[in-house]
Amino acid sequence: MAKHRGRGFATIEYPTGMNQNGDPSQAWIKLKPDGRVDVFSGTVDIGQGSKTVHTQIVADALGVPYDWVTMDNTNTDSSAVCTGTFASRGTFIGGNAVRLAAERVRERIIDIASKELEIDPSDLEIENGEVIAKGAPQKKIGIPDVAGAATYNYGELISGSSTALKPFADVDDSTGQVEIEPHSAISYAACVADVVVDDETGEVVVEKLVQVYDVGRAINPTLVEGQIEGGAIMGLGLGLTENSYPYYPSPENRGGEFGAYLGPALHDLPELDNVIIENPSEDGPFGAKAIGEMANNAQPPAIATAIFDAVGVWVTEMPATPERVLEALEAKREPRRDGKRVIFDEHISVRTVSSNGGEGFLGVDA
Amino acid sequence: MKAVGARLPRYDGLGHVTGRTQFVDDVRVGRTLWVKALRSPHHHAAITSMETSKAEKLKGVHAIVTCADVPKNVYGHLEALGVPADEPLLADGEVRYKGQPIAAVAAESEEAARAAVEAIEISFEEREPLFDIRKALDGEAPQIHQWGNVYPHYGPYNHRRVRKGDIEWAFENADAIVEGVYRPQAIEQMPMETQVALAVPEASGRLTIYSCTQAMYFSMGVVAAHLQVPLNKLKFIGGTVGGGFGGKVDTAADTVCALLALKSRRPVKWRWTREEEFLASSTRAPWHIEIADAVTNDGWILGRRMLTLHDSGAYSRFSPYGVTKHAFHHTGAYTIPNLRFDGFVVYTNRVPTTAMRGFGVTSVSFAVETHLTRVAHAIGMDPWQLRLKNANRIGDTSGNGVAMKDPSTVPVTLAAAERVGVELPAEFRQMTPEPRSGDLLPEHLREQQRLNGEDS
Repeated sequence: MAKHRGRGFATIEYPTGMNQNGDPSQAWIKLKPDGRVDVFSGTVDIGQGSKTVHTQIVADALGVPYDWVTMDNTNTDSSAVCTGTFASRGTFIGGNAVRLAAERVRERIIDIASKELEIDPSDLEIENGEVIAKGAPQKKIGIPDVAGAATYNYGELISGSSTALKPFADVDDSTGQVEIEPHSAISYAACVADVVVDDETGEVVVEKLVQVYDVGRAINPTLVEGQIEGGAIMGLGLGLTENSYPYYPSPENRGGEFGAYLGPALHDLPELDNVIIENPSEDGPFGAKAIGEMANNAQPPAIATAIFDAVGVWVTEMPATPERVLEALEAKREPRRDGKRVIFDEHISVRTVSSNGGEGFLGVDA
Repeated sequence: MKAVGARLPRYDGLGHVTGRTQFVDDVRVGRTLWVKALRSPHHHAAITSMETSKAEKLKGVHAIVTCADVPKNVYGHLEALGVPADEPLLADGEVRYKGQPIAAVAAESEEAARAAVEAIEISFEEREPLFDIRKALDGEAPQIHQWGNVYPHYGPYNHRRVRKGDIEWAFENADAIVEGVYRPQAIEQMPMETQVALAVPEASGRLTIYSCTQAMYFSMGVVAAHLQVPLNKLKFIGGTVGGGFGGKVDTAADTVCALLALKSRRPVKWRWTREEEFLASSTRAPWHIEIADAVTNDGWILGRRMLTLHDSGAYSRFSPYGVTKHAFHHTGAYTIPNLRFDGFVVYTNRVPTTAMRGFGVTSVSFAVETHLTRVAHAIGMDPWQLRLKNANRIGDTSGNGVAMKDPSTVPVTLAAAERVGVELPAEFRQMTPEPRSGDLLPEHLREQQRLNGEDS
């Protein structure tokens, strides 16, 4: 009876945007008469921080201070379509929508400034809230003055709108092949888990997670780290403790309250070592890919392989609860060998469990 | 200062941590009625009779809705993508999961609404339920869904397929075939904010719906379809959600509130209890995944056969989409040139499963990564090296045949190895995502690049 240490790891990938695309996000932006910026986007912030990230994108795409930008995502009357906050699409697709709208507003600002300064638009650039002549920085006009002139002299509303949309990717139902990329980008991650397995109680404790994420570009590194660490907790729940149906496939004995459903809590959090890699996407806003969903995908396999490293048994029904670990230690299953085949887990396969050898699932056309 | 890349504080962070952010349940409107639902006590049953007249007469009860009150009761979340509808908003003659809503009451208080729910007279005839997806196509399995026990609408197929390269060649030429079964199970999204909605009938004839949806336009479309009204009759207010994790992509409370608000002409709020959130709201799906990898002794994965069964629960919701996404990613972060994948959406008599963080792919990551470490042990190879050798590289094609532009399998794997002090031979340490060449471009991988029109 002892505690055993083990290490496991996993490398994963995850797509950005709805699978097969066809999921628009739209945004529009207007300037107040003092140059402050109102952004209307329908992207729902479910806590991941899209309002913050979109505000940062607009600030830099326009060339204005961050605190000039107000984000309104509150309702469907003033906001245009956002397909939704899912598929890790908020930063990339919602972000591209506000970026493209901001680029249109930027053009309008430069057009008005060009009239005021009597300088060709192509010779102007925007920096920190001012329109400046390239190579002659003493010739400039503040965006507040540009917006005021637009409103009161030229009778114009400086505004811009845009849609970020990648066309739908049709799939060949017989082969699963597609003609165009069925996603906006792919993010990658690797996770190393160090665990301690108690062979008497079956309990698995994760002591440390090293997590490496390629997010393309971290628009806000603090929020990226928040996703990595929040995702890690969720990954621990998936890998070790949580189960809606504790005796799956039986539907009985479900937990109907926090006290009867084992979600991980802060005290379960292991030491975390987070590494952010920036391998930019050519299409994403400022090179961004995504982080949201993938953040709970790498821990469960890292934990499962760490358990094998620690005690030499495979737990492939997730979560690896103490019951399952003890059962695996007791059963000590070895794979069946048949010629060059090495066959694990035969006792839970469709062929074994189905009364007709799983014919309906296994017997489909090649 | 550039904003992009800066560690700026959350736009709405101060409001969240000081309790000043207004979530749906914080919105109070005068004369609001409160909702409770009659839910199925059975996993699978026929509704043989239902009578609401006694309940309607109870003090404080203003409106009761059943399937007869819904202009379009059966709707599908993916109808726009060509997936037919199969789920009633309120059960019609049959219940297919425990907790399925059958009727809803709007009353002066939650207590009065609960009393009215208990006063609805209903009788059932229980039917045999199905829970084990592996047995769904057995001869004796009960038939639980109008389409049969598996979703039949992947074009002419009842499963999502991937066929790439020459799978027979891969299995014949492999030195070893490693097979394993992986069963990641269901978990709860478990947001702090339970499902909640408030519908307010306006003098203009419009309905304002305060929603916790993760997708305002999507949910507005769902409500408009059930009510059969144009979008200008609805205004959704939302955008700030107390946790979603995928569970609030389903439109759970909005439509029932809209119906009850129209019927009672009063504002109507429905806030699910924590117990309802756990037991009647959707979960992440359980999956059953069988992988067979054809590998060589020096660590090339020549081919993969994979069978996936996805436990959809009682209705389709987003499951057909989830299995397609799963299929598109079933090779994980690696390049495998010869593939045969079959994925089934299987119905059971449990709460319909839905989107959750990592939808369709969390299951792949668990299965593929656990399996690859098994493969490495089976052929006596270091698991880091196995992964790096088969890593996605620029110009490789994915399982569904598109060229990869910026894969990072190699950089993230090497960064993790370095961080924990794993010593790798120089040929692995020096790997990059750049296109394959030399020893890393054997004949079987040249072919997959040619398939993509890449000239190797």
